[in-house]
Amino acid sequence: MADFDCDICIVGSGAGAGPIIYELSRAGYKVVVLEKGPWLKTADFTKDEMTATRRDAYTPNLEEERHIVVKKSSSGNWTEKNTADGGSDLWNGSCVGGSSNFMSAYFHRMKPNDFQLYSKYGPIDGANIVDWPIKYDDLEPYYAKVEKVIGVSGKVVDHKHQEPRSTPDYPHPPLTTNIVADWFVEGGKKEGWNIVPAARGIISEPKDDRRACYHSNYCGSYGCSSDAKASSRAALINKALKTGNCDIRPLSKVYHIATNGQNEIVKAHYYDADDNKQSVTAKIFVVACQAVETSRLLLMSKNEEFPNGLANNSGQVGKNLLFAGGGAGSGYIRFDSLSEEDRNKFDVPLTFVNQALIDFYEIDDPEFGGKAKGGTIDFLIEHSNPMPKVFRSKYKNGTLLYGSDLKENLQDYFTKQKRVRYEVFCDWLPNDDCHVSLDENVTDKWGDPVGKVKLGYHEQNLKVGNFLADKGMTVLKNIGAIKVTKSITGNPPTNLMAGGCRFGDDPKNSVLNANCQAHEVNNLYVTDGSFMPTGGSVPYTFTIYANAFRVADHLIERLGKEA
Amino acid sequence: MKSKTVKKSIPNRYLDLEQWQTDRRKFLRGALLAGAMTQIGFFTSCSTKLKEGNDLLTAEQATILNDVLNIFFPNDGNGPDAEDINAFGYVMWVLHDTLNRKIEDNAYILVGLNWADETAQEIYFSPFVELSQEQKEALVGKFTELDWGKNWSSMIITLILEALVLDPIYGGNKNEAGWNWLNHTPGFPRPTEENRYERIMEKQMKLVK
Ligand SMILES: Cc1cc2nc3c(=O)[nH]c(=O)nc-3n(C[C@H](O)[C@H](O)[C@H](O)COP(=O)(O)OP(=O)(O)OC[C@H]3O[C@@H](n4cnc5c(N)ncnc54)[C@H](O)[C@@H]3O)c2cc1C
Ligand code: SF4
Repeated sequence: MADFDCDICIVGSGAGAGPIIYELSRAGYKVVVLEKGPWLKTADFTKDEMTATRRDAYTPNLEEERHIVVKKSSSGNWTEKNTADGGSDLWNGSCVGGSSNFMSAYFHRMKPNDFQLYSKYGPIDGANIVDWPIKYDDLEPYYAKVEKVIGVSGKVVDHKHQEPRSTPDYPHPPLTTNIVADWFVEGGKKEGWNIVPAARGIISEPKDDRRACYHSNYCGSYGCSSDAKASSRAALINKALKTGNCDIRPLSKVYHIATNGQNEIVKAHYYDADDNKQSVTAKIFVVACQAVETSRLLLMSKNEEFPNGLANNSGQVGKNLLFAGGGAGSGYIRFDSLSEEDRNKFDVPLTFVNQALIDFYEIDDPEFGGKAKGGTIDFLIEHSNPMPKVFRSKYKNGTLLYGSDLKENLQDYFTKQKRVRYEVFCDWLPNDDCHVSLDENVTDKWGDPVGKVKLGYHEQNLKVGNFLADKGMTVLKNIGAIKVTKSITGNPPTNLMAGGCRFGDDPKNSVLNANCQAHEVNNLYVTDGSFMPTGGSVPYTFTIYANAFRVADHLIERLGKEA
Repeated sequence: MKSKTVKKSIPNRYLDLEQWQTDRRKFLRGALLAGAMTQIGFFTSCSTKLKEGNDLLTAEQATILNDVLNIFFPNDGNGPDAEDINAFGYVMWVLHDTLNRKIEDNAYILVGLNWADETAQEIYFSPFVELSQEQKEALVGKFTELDWGKNWSSMIITLILEALVLDPIYGGNKNEAGWNWLNHTPGFPRPTEENRYERIMEKQMKLVK
């Protein structure tokens, strides 16, 4: 130890970092965490829409730190845009715990076939599909561990794509839901579809120092005031701190990771709270800055040994970036279409629905030439925060409203109906037009090159997305919703990202090995979603957590052997 | 006196939020220039009652803003009006917020007030503040159709809507009038002086450690 500042240095403190921080500090290893954002505590979080979404105070000021996004315009040309000029924003949460503080925490496991997409469904032209180097069975014990350690609530109800489980049910009972959850189930039955409870990374009963969810109805995009949401901060880091082995350094932005000429990292360089340059030495380094920033940091860490960026002699870093494929749609349930009793049950401030249709996780349809990978449909009620609702009331038939017309429309939107929604998740197929590189001209406030993110998508995303959205629309219509729509586009949901440093057995076309250790750098691991070569047809965080617990076991074994 | 017409350049983010590449700097220069000119551009007769000016707005600009807010969100017997939600006070808070808000956006609010006055001059040959209530309503209605006015009006309406439903701590939604009218239950905990947006943003920007 004397030669090192710590055993393990972790860059980032979000979902990919939390399990490493927790497990390694509990195993007695000295852990230093370098997190670029501030250390916001539970008491700092409120349900203030100004802070969370109007002024985005949980993410960096875009004038200071931005991205360049490259997208195909409607005329078919690739066009660059600086995110400081509006449009996409690729930051999701910059503080201790990262974006896991602000997630909605829909927690679906990946299914066994997701680990072998290539073998099970074959190649698709223009998509870089590969099998994972591990199987579902390798990850299953860690999904179970996540459910227990960080707390997942739900109820297992069998359906045709139910993945095998080592435990019969979730450790915490399902959260209370709005009556519309039952209507959704009935709406599915009309078509012979089995709509089942969806699990959440939210505890429905107290656990350790964390209180149960109090249904604040301001969940996604907001920090949790009861610590019920399984953020890396509330569920893992706070416990790790109790061991005395964990040193969290907020406002510490890592800008270069240096190696010794022998495939080993010696130091992580960072700017501290006063923007002074500092460094940390460690036996092992784990990078978990979220997909885009992880690739950017590796690409920035160039030296003679790695002229193209750390662990990038293969040229694979930043490639095959993933987002969640699919889209969403909605409709309105008018109160005057309901009986008084139903209206009284429905029109309450309780927005949880937690029901999903997973029957189409595999599609068997001639349109797709037989069996093809499908996806998940989650059912929801519109979020409670009022700004999106007032925006929807601003226009009628494309005309900007003002005066009494505007007021009537607002009143109608808020008091005579509720908007119900569905979200579709399908595989975002990895492709050559979706990747991270460094911009050659634009820098952040420290003078470091910003990440340039090309956002190309595969047409199959839209085909599968539309297939699933049609099912979602049918269910909405079956429960009496009107003005039912779908929106399936190639625009990625920038809060759900993975890939860029995919793992695999072949060092020529992957960055990491099966343990998420860099093929080219002996003491470098990447544990955020970057490791995923494909992401399944679900949001990624449950899998990111599970995989990071798996890597933590490997690290403890490795450090034990080296001691 | 007729103020000199300035080119009404609309920041692209208000033209089409999804549109690529905005030339922000050029706009800012134009906006600041326009702002400087209007300080000398107004002339009003003594009979017109003006709202008090402040550190950012001349009395004329303040009056135009107040009138526009009340026309966009009027007292029509249905719920609160712009006064009831203190939309003017809220816009002043916004104009003072430069922490994580683009100065161009604030300049755009001001430059629009000047354009409003110019348009009054072009159509009625009179400064905005001297128009009758009917003329003001007709003119503001017209803004929503004009090239420059469409985007500016949309932004002002967004500010009114923010004043209607955001937390009263930022000056709007006085006595929770907006929430009460819309039957909206806010989320808890609500922001306090210790954790309102500016305090969190200062931490995010390393201004407070
Ligand atoms: C509104 C919202 C809703 C969501 N809902 C869901 C959901 O329902 N289900 C789901 O599965 N997922 C959801 N997510 C996604 C989920 O939050 C992410 O998948 C998860 O947090 C990713 O973990 P991560 O470790 O990759 O990144 P993060 O949790 O974001 O952590 C990365 C951390 O690294 C830090 N960092 C970056 N660069 C540096 C650097 N150079 N030096 C030091 N630190 C650095 C960042 O500040 C950040 O704190 C949602 C996200 C958002 C924003
Ligand atoms: S209390 Fe419940 S609903 Fe509110 S943020 Fe926490 S987990 Fe989400």
